Amino acid sequence: MSNLPPDHAPPAGADGNSPVRDDTQQKLHQLLAGLWEQSRNTVAAHVETLQQARTLAENGQLDDAGRARAIDSAHKLAGVLGTFGLPRGTELARVAEEAFREPAGPGPQKAEALRPALDELHNLVQAAVTYQGS
Amino acid sequence: MKADGEYFVTRRILIIDDEDDIRQVAALSLETVAGWDVVLANSGKQGIERASVEQPDAILLDVMMPEMDGPTTFLKLKANQKTSHIPVLLLTAKVQGPDQRRFADLGVAAILFKPFDPLTLAGQISSVLGWKDSA
Repeated sequence: MSNLPPDHAPPAGADGNSPVRDDTQQKLHQLLAGLWEQSRNTVAAHVETLQQARTLAENGQLDDAGRARAIDSAHKLAGVLGTFGLPRGTELARVAEEAFREPAGPGPQKAEALRPALDELHNLVQAAVTYQGS
Repeated sequence: MKADGEYFVTRRILIIDDEDDIRQVAALSLETVAGWDVVLANSGKQGIERASVEQPDAILLDVMMPEMDGPTTFLKLKANQKTSHIPVLLLTAKVQGPDQRRFADLGVAAILFKPFDPLTLAGQISSVLGWKDSA
């Protein structure tokens, strides 16, 4: 279930019914854009954690601590990327979280299969130089 | 006061989340869209202390936190006379059905999901808590 509003529906304001005013939307957009600039490096670091864990898993070298870090990073990315206007990022992070949550983590084959998703996630975050929300 | 003469009520919301990004986005959202007062805590322990002192109208509580997770924090809030009356909304990125049922069984006021839309978060909270008079 998603909290995102259906397409073309004006976002409901604080009372849950009346639409959010345009100037309020613009102000929030500006504030979120500033916050994305601050957060982007942290987000990129989480993606790097996932890529390193995937490489280790592919070589059969991912230990429990590394797997726990990967689960934590994937979970955080899944929660935050959609909020910053990157819903595809949330989808990809969920794929990674599911893979690393498997008992004993992904084996070499699953780790290899995870590579395209993490490459796409990396590229998506690198391309999002500015806030992607509407 | 609204243009049509009705009075709004300013709410105070406590956000408990270990993730800086989520705390800040949620705070900006609730302050900007709704004009609510926001109090922040970065752990379950700090959240319980803040809830007791600040007496918020509602608590937005993250599920997955180190040391004390959301469900444990919720049970401690409900066991404390100073905070047991405050409605708690769980905020989670967990989308699996069993997780959702487990959280619902705790007795929380609502479960909200990450990622959330910053423009509609305040409206969601108002809707689930039946606040029709919020600023």
